[in-house]
Amino acid sequence: MENTTDTMKKLDRKTLNKSFHRWFWGALTCFSQEHMQTFGYMASMLPIIKKLYPKHDDQVKAIHAYTAFFNTNPMLGTVIVGITASMEQARSNGQNIDGETINDMRAGLMGPIAGIGDSLIDGTLIPILLGISLGMSSGGSPVGAIFYIVSWVLIAYFGQRFLYFRGYKFGDQAVSFLVGKQGAAIRHAIGIVGSMVVGGVLASWVNVTTSLKLVGSNGKVFLNLQDKLDSIYPGILTVAITFFCWWLMTKKHVSAIWTMLILVAVSLVGVLLGFFNPGLSY
Amino acid sequence: MTISWVQAAILGLFACLCSNSCMAGQAVGNYTIGRPLVGGLICGIVLGNVPLGIAAGVAMQLVYIALVTPGGTVSADVRAISYIGIPLAMVAITAQGLNPMSGSAANLAKSVGTLVGTVGTVLYYAVATMNLVWQSFGWKDVHNGKLDKLTAVNFGWPWISHALFSFIPTMLLTYYGSTAVTALRNALPMDGVAMKTLFTVGGMLPCVGIAILLRQIINTPLDFVPFLVGFTLAASLHLNLVSVTVISLLFAVIFYEVEMARGSNNGTPSVADGPDDDDEEDI
Repeated sequence: MENTTDTMKKLDRKTLNKSFHRWFWGALTCFSQEHMQTFGYMASMLPIIKKLYPKHDDQVKAIHAYTAFFNTNPMLGTVIVGITASMEQARSNGQNIDGETINDMRAGLMGPIAGIGDSLIDGTLIPILLGISLGMSSGGSPVGAIFYIVSWVLIAYFGQRFLYFRGYKFGDQAVSFLVGKQGAAIRHAIGIVGSMVVGGVLASWVNVTTSLKLVGSNGKVFLNLQDKLDSIYPGILTVAITFFCWWLMTKKHVSAIWTMLILVAVSLVGVLLGFFNPGLSY
Repeated sequence: MTISWVQAAILGLFACLCSNSCMAGQAVGNYTIGRPLVGGLICGIVLGNVPLGIAAGVAMQLVYIALVTPGGTVSADVRAISYIGIPLAMVAITAQGLNPMSGSAANLAKSVGTLVGTVGTVLYYAVATMNLVWQSFGWKDVHNGKLDKLTAVNFGWPWISHALFSFIPTMLLTYYGSTAVTALRNALPMDGVAMKTLFTVGGMLPCVGIAILLRQIINTPLDFVPFLVGFTLAASLHLNLVSVTVISLLFAVIFYEVEMARGSNNGTPSVADGPDDDDEEDI
C-alpha cells in the first residue's frame, strides 16, 4: 500500500467503465433544486477515487473537490466527468493539480456544455429522430416507437461512452473541439438541419384550419376561407399560430402554461364566432 | 375501457422510471421511456390496445416535442404526460366512441393529456425537494468519511421520493381518473361549446411545443428562413421528413463550408465562443 514514485498510477478500463456507468444511470437520480447533479457526480467519481487513493483519509480528502455544486446537460456533460477522471489521476501522481483547479475546470465548463447540449441534443437531434419516428408510427403502428427506442438508446449510450473516454484521454483539451471555431461552425450547420426539420414536423403534423364559410342568400357558398388561404400559402394559419406562441413566450415572456390558456381563450372565441368548428357529433 | 389496480400500478412504476429525476438513467428513463411516443407504446401494451396507445402517444408527442429543461427548470414533466395523460386520453377516446386514428381522436388526446401536464410539474418539485433529505444524509456521510454510503444516497433512497410522488399519484389518478373521464361523456355533449373548444385547442397545442423548440434553436431572425423552408417543403411540396432532412443536410454542408472559409479569410483566429451558449432568450 506504499505510494512508490517509480510506478505511475493509471486507471484501468474496468474502473473507468464503472465510473461511466454510474454517471449514465445515476446522473440525476438524487436530483434536488439545491444541489442538482452533485450527488450523481460524487457517486460516479467514487470508483476512481477509491482506485487512485488506497488510504481512506486521502479518499475522503479527494471527494471534497466534488462536493461543489454541479449541473449541466447530462449527455454532453459526460465529457466533463471523463476529464476530471484524468485530472484526478494526474493529481494522484503528484502533478501540480489541486481540488481548486479541478473545480475551476468543472465550473467553467458546465455552462457552455449545458447550452450546447440543450440545443444540440434536446433541440435538434431528438426532434429529428422523433419526426422520423412519428411518420413510421402513423396509423397506430409500433414501428416508429421501436425505431426511436433503438436508435436513441444506441446513440445515447455509445455517444456518451465515446465522450467519457475522449474526456479521459485528452483531459481538458477535449473540450476545445466543442467550443472552438470548428465546433461553432458545426453547431451552426446542425442548427440549420434542426430548423428545417422542425418546420417539416410542423407542416406534416399540425393543421390549424378555419371552418368559416360565407353563404349567400341563394344558399351557395361564396367564400370558403380555408380554400382561399390554402391557395395563398398552404398551412398559413398553422404558421401564424406558431409564431403567435413563439412571440408570446420569447418577446412577452409568457410561460408555456399561460400560452396554452391563451390558446383556450382564442379557441373559445373562435368557436363562438364560428371561425373554428371541429364538426363532431355523437 | 377501464383501468384496473394492477394496470394502474404498472403505469405508476413506469412513472418512477421516467421522471425528470429519473430512476432509469436520464438517457433511458427520461429521454426514452418518458417520451410520449414510447409511453404510448407502453400504455398500449399495459392497457391491451397498442394501436390506440400509439395513436394517443403520437398526438401527445407533438405537443411535447421540445422537452428542454434549461438549468433544471421544468415546464412539463414527462411522467404525468406519458403515464397519466396518455392512459386517460385512451379511456376518453374509447368513451367518446371516436375512431382512434382520426384527427379528432388525436385532438382529444392532446387536450386531455395536456390537462394533466401541470400535475407533473408539481410532482417534479415534490421529488426534488424530498431528495434534499437523502442529500443531507449524504453530506453527513461525506463529513464522517463513510464514502460507501454515497451509493445508497444516489441510487437507493430516492426510490422513496418516487414511491410517494410518482408511483402513488400515478396509480390513483389513472385508476380513479378513468372512471371520471368515462362519466364525463354524458355531461358534455360533443357539439356543445365546451367540447368544440377542447377539440380546437387540441389541434393548436402542438404549436406551443414547436414554439418552445423554436425558442431554443432560433437565435437571429435569419434562423426563421430555414424553418420556413422546411415548412414549405412539407406543406406545399408534400415531402416527407426524411426527404426534408436530406435537403437540410445539403444546406448544412454549405453553411459549414462558408463559415469555415469566412474564418480563414480575414485571418482572425477568433475563438468563436457561441453567444448562444446558455441563454435561450431574446433575439
